[in-house]
Amino acid sequence: MPRESFQQELDNLVGDVLGLGKEVGGSLENTVRAMETRDENLATSELGVDVRYKARGAELERDSMILQARQAPVARDLRLLYTVQSVTNHLVRSGALSEHICHALAETAGAERDEDLEASLVEMARTARNIFNEGLDIFENRDIDRARDLQAKDDKVDLLYSEAMNLIANPSDTGAGAPEWRMRAALMVHYLERIADHGVDIGGSTVFLVTGQRIEDAMRQYLERDINPDGE
Amino acid sequence: MTTPRRLKEEQKVAEAPENRRDERVDAPSRVAEAPSGSAGPSAIGMKITDLAAFYGSFKAVTDVSMDIQANKVTALIGPSGCGKSTYIRCLNRMHEVLPVARAEGRVMLGDQDIYAKNVDPVNIRRRIGMVFQKPNPFSKSIYENVAWGAKINGYRGNMDELVERSLRQAALWDEVKDRLKESGFGLSGGQQQRLCIARTLAVEPEVILMDEPASALDPVSTQKIEDTMSELKKQYTVVIVTHNMQQAARISDYTGFFYIVNMGDPGRLWEFDETEKIFSNPDRKETEDYVTGRFG
Repeated sequence: MPRESFQQELDNLVGDVLGLGKEVGGSLENTVRAMETRDENLATSELGVDVRYKARGAELERDSMILQARQAPVARDLRLLYTVQSVTNHLVRSGALSEHICHALAETAGAERDEDLEASLVEMARTARNIFNEGLDIFENRDIDRARDLQAKDDKVDLLYSEAMNLIANPSDTGAGAPEWRMRAALMVHYLERIADHGVDIGGSTVFLVTGQRIEDAMRQYLERDINPDGE
Repeated sequence: MTTPRRLKEEQKVAEAPENRRDERVDAPSRVAEAPSGSAGPSAIGMKITDLAAFYGSFKAVTDVSMDIQANKVTALIGPSGCGKSTYIRCLNRMHEVLPVARAEGRVMLGDQDIYAKNVDPVNIRRRIGMVFQKPNPFSKSIYENVAWGAKINGYRGNMDELVERSLRQAALWDEVKDRLKESGFGLSGGQQQRLCIARTLAVEPEVILMDEPASALDPVSTQKIEDTMSELKKQYTVVIVTHNMQQAARISDYTGFFYIVNMGDPGRLWEFDETEKIFSNPDRKETEDYVTGRFG
C-alpha cells in the first residue's frame, strides 16, 4: 500500500493522543476518588498536571501541523488530523479542569460541607468521568452510534448541574457548609459540567471523522430517517 | 452519474429567463463587465451524455455523463490508463484524429451537438481549444506563434492588440513584450507552455481543455500556469487533466475521478462533485483511497 510511512505516522499520532487521553482519564479518576473520600493528599498529588498536559498538547499540535505541511493530507486523512487537534484540545482542557477541582478540594480540606450538595457534586463527578471515558473510547473505536447516546447522557449532567446550583443558591438553615467551600463548590459544578461537555464533543468529533458530517447534521438525518423511513 | 448539488443550483439560476446565456452574450453590459483588455467571447458550458471512446474494437472509456459548468475549472483525476486523456480529447473531436479512434454518445457545447452531422470538427477545435502536456510552439517568432491561428481563421481585427491581449491573459506579456520577434523556442519550458496557452486564446475559444499542462514544468512555472487558470476561468470554461491532486484541489471548482474496476475494462467516471467535497469527504471509497494516495 502506498504511503505506508504516512499511515504509520498517523497511527503513531493517534496512539499518542489516546495516551494523553488515558493520562487525563487517570487524573479524572483520582479527582473523583478525592471527592468521594475527601482525600486531601490525593487531590494535592494532582496539582501541576495541567502544565504537563498543556505541554503534551502543544507537542501533538506541532506533530499534526508538521504532518499537514509534509504530507498535504486530504479527505479522511485531513479529517483525522483535524479531529486529532480537536480531541487533543478537549483532553488538555479536561485535564486543566480536573486540576482546578483538585485545587479547590485541597484549599477547602477540613472545611464544613453541605452534605446534600457534596453528594450532588460526587454524583456529577462520576457521571462526567464516565462521559469523558466513553467519549475517548468512541474516538478509539470509531463507534459513532454511541456518540448519539452520549449526547443523551449529558442531559443527566445538566440536570445535576441545575440541582447543585439550586442547593448553592438556596442553602438550608442548618448544615449549609463553610462559605469558602460553597463558593468553590459553585466553581466545581461548572468545571464538571465542562468536562462532561468535552467528553460529548470528543464523541461528536469522531462522528465528523468517520462520516464527514457534524454530529448535529448526522442527528438530524438520523431523526428524519426514523420519521420518514421511505425517505419521502 | 449524478450532477453535483451546487451545479444543479447554478443550472437553475442559469436557466432562469433573466439569466439565459444567449441573452447575456449580446448584452452590451456584458462587454462592459469584461476584464480590462479582454474582448473574448463569453464562456459556454458543456453537457456530456453516455460518452464512450474506442480505439478500434477496444473500449477505452464508457458511460461518461458530465455537466461542465461555464466559467469554472473542472479537473479530471485518476490513475494512469483510466481514460482521462482519451475522454478530454473527445470533448473537441481530437480523439478521432487517430484513424482507428471513434467516440459514441453526445457532447453538447451550449446548444450544439459537436458530433452532429454537418459540424466541422476544425471549427469545433477552434471553439474548444487544447493545451497539451508538452509545450509545442511553432518554429516561428513569439508574435507569429500567437497570431498564426487567428490569421488562418480570417481574423480581421487589430492583430497587435490581439497578440498583446492573448499574451497578457496567459501572464506572459511582461516577460516577452521586448522580444516578440524572437523564436518561441528561445523561451523556457514554462514560458513556452504559457505561449501555447496564449496561442489557444488568440482564436477566441469558449472552452479550454488542458491535458496535464504543468506536468513537465518546474514549481515556479507550475504556479504561474495555475495562477493563469484562475484568471482564465473568469472568461472561459476550463477542463484540466492532472495527475497532481494538490493541483486539482488548488485550482478546480469541480473534480471528476476516473477509475478502472479491472485491468482491461474501460475507464469510467467514478465520482464527480464539487472539488471541496471530493477532497474532504468523497462519497465513494475508491475516490477516497485515490485522493489520499492509497493507490494509483
